[in-house]
Amino acid sequence: MDREPTLRRKTALSYKTEEKTVMRGYNLSDLAEEGYSFYDAMFVLFQGRIPTENEEKMLKYEMGVFLEHSMSPSAVGAIGVSAGRPNLPVCVAAAVSTFGGVHGPGAAHGYMLNKYLDRGLEEGRTVDEMAKQLVDDYMDNGTPVMGMGQPQHIDSDPRAEPIHLRQEELKLEGVYLEFQRALEKYFHARRKTDGRSYVGVNVVGSGNTALMEIGFSPNAGWCIGSVVRGFSCAAHALYNMKKGRAWGASRNEPMVQMIDLSMIKYVGPEDRIVPKKEEQQEYALKQKEEGEYKQWVI
Amino acid sequence: MGYLDQKKTDALNSQKRERGIGNLGSEKNPFDYYAREYGTMPRDEKRAPFQWVSEVSYKNTHRIVTRGYDTTEIMEEGYGVIEVLFVDYQARFPLVEEGQMLNYVMIMMLEDGLSGPAAISRIVAKSKTFLTQACGASIMAFGHAYGAYSAFGNRLESYIQRAEQENISLALAAELLVQENGIDEALGVSSLMLKDSAAKKMIARAEKLGVAGVNIEFMKEVVKAAQAASSEPVDIDMLGATGAVMQDLGFTPEATWAILAITRSFGCGAHYIEEVERGELSRMGQHLSPEADYDGPANRPVPPLKDREKHAESAICQTPEEWKARFNKMKDLPGSGFSINEEIQDPSKKSGIKKVGKL
Repeated sequence: MDREPTLRRKTALSYKTEEKTVMRGYNLSDLAEEGYSFYDAMFVLFQGRIPTENEEKMLKYEMGVFLEHSMSPSAVGAIGVSAGRPNLPVCVAAAVSTFGGVHGPGAAHGYMLNKYLDRGLEEGRTVDEMAKQLVDDYMDNGTPVMGMGQPQHIDSDPRAEPIHLRQEELKLEGVYLEFQRALEKYFHARRKTDGRSYVGVNVVGSGNTALMEIGFSPNAGWCIGSVVRGFSCAAHALYNMKKGRAWGASRNEPMVQMIDLSMIKYVGPEDRIVPKKEEQQEYALKQKEEGEYKQWVI
Repeated sequence: MGYLDQKKTDALNSQKRERGIGNLGSEKNPFDYYAREYGTMPRDEKRAPFQWVSEVSYKNTHRIVTRGYDTTEIMEEGYGVIEVLFVDYQARFPLVEEGQMLNYVMIMMLEDGLSGPAAISRIVAKSKTFLTQACGASIMAFGHAYGAYSAFGNRLESYIQRAEQENISLALAAELLVQENGIDEALGVSSLMLKDSAAKKMIARAEKLGVAGVNIEFMKEVVKAAQAASSEPVDIDMLGATGAVMQDLGFTPEATWAILAITRSFGCGAHYIEEVERGELSRMGQHLSPEADYDGPANRPVPPLKDREKHAESAICQTPEEWKARFNKMKDLPGSGFSINEEIQDPSKKSGIKKVGKL
């Protein structure tokens, strides 16, 4: 059996021999035998260190509360992909890949905080001042403030404040929580001044703050959040694969299905004649000249 | 829009009938193409409107509930990912020992050096993508050979079932399994871990925690049967150990497949990060493929287009014999796909979700 590495790389993460797998210097088997938790192992993986007990507890809370979120883009992605009955991992891959600039933008939130903390240091301003600056900059520009608002939990994300509270209870308050709390204070005040409705902190705002506080980089935090959601998305895909019908279009179900033809609402150009091949040039030229097509360009 | 009104439909169809469109008006078609409707289907009001149906979870404005438990309450009570995995996949809380065992398995699955999933994550990273794209790609590396939990587990289950139904011993069922399937990539027994005790330690831990069940018992028989049948030394490997343990914890083969592939994806996220931090980005056309590694058809001139017929080779076969001969010939061309024969199945039950949605 060929046991040559798939890819040769210098790496500070791990190595694997015939005898053992070693991550950041620790034999994985020894880590498990010693009774460390999976959360501890995440600290070793991303930060190369064993965490304090309270840091471990915080990660456990954050990952657990983020794992399941019923019908979000990630679960819908997994279910949609499962309709074609590919291998299950493909559904999960799709689900994890839905995390981007809006759905669970953990890294973006982290970069935002880091940028303003950095700027505060350079300009000799306090964390509180920088939080206000951030809110003003974003809201003046009409840019959504990362970590605030949730399209479904419209008046308050049920996970968000409890994460903050747990972080405080575990005595893990640091510069990130101070910044985030100040950001929320100025955000609420600004919206009130502007005569706008209340928008609460979301799970990214509080969860990612906690992750950053316990030492994870924006991307490591994003990885933890988006991948842990994969667990529940796989369950949603599996449920549909085992108990639902493929295609999600069956007319034999008592309920209209996901991609039933009647679910399509078309608002594009009206039905029209396809030009004959010999008419193509003249037809296309006319279309370009009239420019009506431009309204449909995406 | 809805269905186009009859007058407009008739006008459009009449114009098309007059112009003729390729073969669409052919009498061989089992329909009159120029009598077809336009516009989208009207809403079906005889059936219940579409809703996402789930046995797994729901959420409303104020709470997220999985299998009946509010997820924030689960965390407030001191549980974590380990317990939610049992709740999500099995609708139950685990015994403390079961939780400890899953924790153990997940630590062991977190990292595997620069194997397939990590390599793919790194390759995707080099294209300057989001981290989530690389993590997703790493999960896709789990198939029916690498991390073959579905193939391994379903087979294990079917032979355990066979032992029960045919009233034969697990030892005999294991012999049959090895005899009928050989020592393949989904057996969970191989030469991979002869010097690494991690797989055996995992089994020992399951036994110590009192969570070992019929899957581990059967797996041990499979190891014995494989050792008797193999000409070279073999022993339980990580697929065999993690798969049997997960199934004794009550996870289905598919659930195991997903949970462990996702667990590895955390590690692959770290590989993405390191690749971005350490490596240079990759541009299209940048990487060369040495001619020395090429063993396809020898270099040859492209025939002039006007001589196409002289050089072209038709694939049309008039008889099954011709078809078979071509099929076999094509097997000599790697990359053509003729050497691959796989079964792609629909795992869904035929019942659908008929209990919900009735008006």
